[in-house]
Amino acid sequence: MYLSSALRAAASHAGRQVRSLYQSAARPGAGGIFLHRDTADNNPDTPFEFTLENMKRVEAIINNYPKGHKQAATIPVLDLAQRQHGWLPISAMNKVAEILEIPPMRVYEVATFYTMFNRQPMGKYHVQVCTTTPCMLCDSDSILQAIQNKLGIKVGETTPDKLFTLAEVECLGACVNAPMVQINDNYYEDLKPSDIEHILDELKAGRVPPPGPRSGRFSCEPEGGLTSLTEPPPGPGFGVRADL
Amino acid sequence: MLRLPAVGRALAGAAHSKGCLTASSNVRTSVRASSNLVEVFVDGKPVMVEPGTTVLQACEKVGVQIPRFCYHERLSVAGNCRMCLLEIERAPKVMCSHNYSTLDCSSCRPWKGIFGHPVAACAMPVMKGWNILTNSEKTRKAREGVMEFLLANHPLDCPICDQGGECDLQDQSMMFGSDRSRFTEGKRAVEDKNIGPLIKTIMTRCIQCTRCVRFASEIAGVEDLGTTGRGNSMQIGTYVEKMFMSELSGNVIDVCPVGALTSKPYAFTSRPWETRKTESIDVLDAVGSNIVVSTRGGEVMRILPRLNEDVNEEWISDKTRFAYDGLKRQRLTQPMVKDASGQLVPTNWEDALMRIAAMLQGVKGSEIAAIAGGMVDAESLIALKDMLNKLDSEALCTEELFPMAGAGTDLRSNYLLNTRIAGIEECDLLLLIGTNPRYEAPLFNARVRKSWLHNELQVALVGHDVDLSYSYNHLGDSTQVLKDLATGKHPYCQVLAQAKRPVVVVGSSCLQRADGAAILSAVSTIAQNARVSSGVEEGWKVLNVLHRVASQVAALDVGYKPGVEAIRKNPPKMLFLLGADAGCITRADLPKDSFIIYQGHHGDVGALMADVILPGAAYTEKNGTYVNTEGRAQQTRVAVTPPGMAREDWKIIRAVSETPHVGVTLPYDTLEEVRDRLAEVAPNLVRYDDVEEANYFKQANELSQAVNQSLLADPLVPPQLSVKDFYMTDPISRASQTMAKCVKAVTEGAEAVEEPAIC
Amino acid sequence: MNRFKRADSFASHSSAMASSVARGAVKAVKPIFSRDVDEAKRRVRELYRAWYREVPNTVAMYQLDITVRQGRDKVREIFNKNKHVTDPRVIDMLVIKGKMELQETIHIWKQKTHVMRYFHETENPCPNDFLSKFYHGHEP
Repeated sequence: MYLSSALRAAASHAGRQVRSLYQSAARPGAGGIFLHRDTADNNPDTPFEFTLENMKRVEAIINNYPKGHKQAATIPVLDLAQRQHGWLPISAMNKVAEILEIPPMRVYEVATFYTMFNRQPMGKYHVQVCTTTPCMLCDSDSILQAIQNKLGIKVGETTPDKLFTLAEVECLGACVNAPMVQINDNYYEDLKPSDIEHILDELKAGRVPPPGPRSGRFSCEPEGGLTSLTEPPPGPGFGVRADL
Repeated sequence: MLRLPAVGRALAGAAHSKGCLTASSNVRTSVRASSNLVEVFVDGKPVMVEPGTTVLQACEKVGVQIPRFCYHERLSVAGNCRMCLLEIERAPKVMCSHNYSTLDCSSCRPWKGIFGHPVAACAMPVMKGWNILTNSEKTRKAREGVMEFLLANHPLDCPICDQGGECDLQDQSMMFGSDRSRFTEGKRAVEDKNIGPLIKTIMTRCIQCTRCVRFASEIAGVEDLGTTGRGNSMQIGTYVEKMFMSELSGNVIDVCPVGALTSKPYAFTSRPWETRKTESIDVLDAVGSNIVVSTRGGEVMRILPRLNEDVNEEWISDKTRFAYDGLKRQRLTQPMVKDASGQLVPTNWEDALMRIAAMLQGVKGSEIAAIAGGMVDAESLIALKDMLNKLDSEALCTEELFPMAGAGTDLRSNYLLNTRIAGIEECDLLLLIGTNPRYEAPLFNARVRKSWLHNELQVALVGHDVDLSYSYNHLGDSTQVLKDLATGKHPYCQVLAQAKRPVVVVGSSCLQRADGAAILSAVSTIAQNARVSSGVEEGWKVLNVLHRVASQVAALDVGYKPGVEAIRKNPPKMLFLLGADAGCITRADLPKDSFIIYQGHHGDVGALMADVILPGAAYTEKNGTYVNTEGRAQQTRVAVTPPGMAREDWKIIRAVSETPHVGVTLPYDTLEEVRDRLAEVAPNLVRYDDVEEANYFKQANELSQAVNQSLLADPLVPPQLSVKDFYMTDPISRASQTMAKCVKAVTEGAEAVEEPAIC
Repeated sequence: MNRFKRADSFASHSSAMASSVARGAVKAVKPIFSRDVDEAKRRVRELYRAWYREVPNTVAMYQLDITVRQGRDKVREIFNKNKHVTDPRVIDMLVIKGKMELQETIHIWKQKTHVMRYFHETENPCPNDFLSKFYHGHEP
């Protein structure tokens, strides 16, 4: 009697207490670690220079802000650097700091804060699969599975031909057209596993398939036609008092 | 004995109370509105504060301490730790600043939302009629909640944490925290960074208050630290592998409220409650930073800054803080004499003194000379001078040169930092000549940076182009620039002429040159012209000299001759080196049979060439008077006893004077009597913590016109150009391992420095 | 009677103190044993005699490395040390203390070193001029 109660107490106690080891900040898919370590393709000597065309764009961006507030251009200029180079090596961040005349640390702070700045080498196409609740309910898992099977990579990895990088992301705001995938700047929506395979094939072949829903919808209208607001809209003066 | 005359005290008191009025602001400004105060209530107690005062400052004014981590009164407000959350209540029946009842005013209505909610006291400016509740139920709940979140990721490693016992998190969780946590998830861990041989980082302990980041970017002017990442993974660091190498870097240890940044040399050596604290003065540079020496069992464990608004605020330089391990190495602990084979052998005091006495016997007064070094206290300076004067010698020199042409050292205003360090905050234009204050006087430079940042101070530099941690007009490094500035031909003269409160600072290093007198004369003219054109009031000082060694001002005040030129011209048979380690005189400059006595605390340059070595006390081991570059007399105090047979310096000289054949016994046996003698010679030397004003700039300038020396063409290059040159400049820091590690880390990178593999 | 005399001499030194001392002097002081100095002196002589007679015993009992003469000289020296005392109350007090010492010595309540402490054998004289203090150590 005594023994059993003691055992039970011990067991329930153990159940409540969760003892776990320290957990590192570095988790796959969460933007990597927030530290820079020199590697062969990412070090201060990695060649990076804005193209002449982009340099003009940088000028234009800086001119958007008042004089003496060049620092305000950090995010757009970083974005430009990323678009040019595909990702942000440390040399690109240093370059941005140099152009904006701010300490490099201030650029690192911005670049590490935003998850859309990629500080690791990326494939040509960044495939971001939304797996947040609405997409998940519409079976985004099958989409993810299809991509993984097709490309032979897991989440957070890049294909050996440096074409695709796969990431699992939180809500991208296209829940009406769930499930969806963002590839670089394009949204591909209302996907079935066969659709995403086709899209990947097209990309592999060097063509960019048109973005948008794959279910034949134009945009985010209801799938089976309008269910409300079906009659023509009333004209001016609708519902206004007759004596006015 | 009352050293300070009543008038001086009263004046000091008045100045102090003025400082209190302006204490709400970080920076002194000359103009300040004193009217339209607003009334707020702290726990129902009314208090009048200036508009714009934060809730936290208002509470501080009535003496209520609000818990905080990220708020630091010398740094900008971040408001990210949330520990200072307070409840604000509307005080009934009080008119708002628009003269409505606080209930009805439309302008104040947006503020109504905050009543009854916790607000961050450090960032919220007060509004008229607020009642701040510092101990209400809601306030206490808010603090408990914040503390619970802070402790969620903070490791419970206080027993092995160096901050233990002086940790803000520890103290405040005892005071304001809850007694249990509901957090059962795993804790976050963060990788430690190697940011140099001075600062140890245990980043898991970091609570992201960003005080260190703000210190680095605002005070030190080195934007190497920052926050990377976001959310739970946010961390403080340098992102790239980099050292935090600033001459003020050690202060982040004091600024850090937890044990994330601690001192590497001090790691695991002692606990704050085991150490005895002695308030003292730093002598490794001429600023005279106020320090606290922590000792345990006759050993200096560490050195911390002590608050002095007029000198170092609450910062100290890295050399001041970390060179203390040099006090335990290379020390002279027993008297030594050279035997027949030319070897220095340890002996006792009687022997050493008898040897000196024997040598003195056949020497005439004119054949005796003395050189005083850079870290000598005023007591031993006066004792040595009295002794040599009694022996009929006048050849007493300092190692540092100062041009004697013109007014020379006769007018005190010629060799002081007359504006004072705090005075920099009131000037609007600063002209630096031939100096690199960042490494010659880091705290002076921090003050300049503060004024540059907050008071729109304009800085110009004549001399080598160096990184001063603020931007400045570089006018060139040739002496021609000086000439042009003095004659008004230089384009910058127009800027200079428009300055309302100009300050000209000349570095002592460029006065060491052969054309020092000409430089000083030119600088004096520039300063005088600037004064005349600015039309500033009579009390404002323009001309300043920034010294590099602690003893120089006292030595000049007592009447030493600057520079060893006289000794080189007239080599003595007997030379007394009082802590002279700069190596201005070598054996080659003296006749073969000359006899050299070295008195000092380190076996450095001076001891190597000596025939007799008398072991003295370092600045932590004696009660000594030092006068900083402003002319402010301050005293060091005995923290530990001198090692071995070493004695306080003035006592050694007093003992030498009494030995037979010397026979000129000095008339003082106690420290009090020595200081009475000091007061006879130079009364300002015993008016501690007071700056004796010096004037006669005009006369000095007139006398300097008589200097007919021409400027050399060599560029003005100060000896300390980069941080590498900063660490080892005197016998103590040259003997320090920590400083050697710093030099190594700067030249070869932080990885090159081997650290013991502990924790 | 003696108390009054002392008060008078004080008063002549310092007029400011005179009133307070005079007030104190009026207060009757209770003697310890002796009514006047003569009586006190008699007690001192008695104590001295007792010590004088005890010295040979002490030297023998404690096996001291001194002669009886040295011991008696020391007794005389210690008595002479308080020669200047004139207040009978103070004298009485000193006599009481002396008797206590004597009793402790007779009954061997002391040990050899306690007795030899009167001779200051192990104590070094403190240096008092600057130079010997300097040679001696750090603090004057």
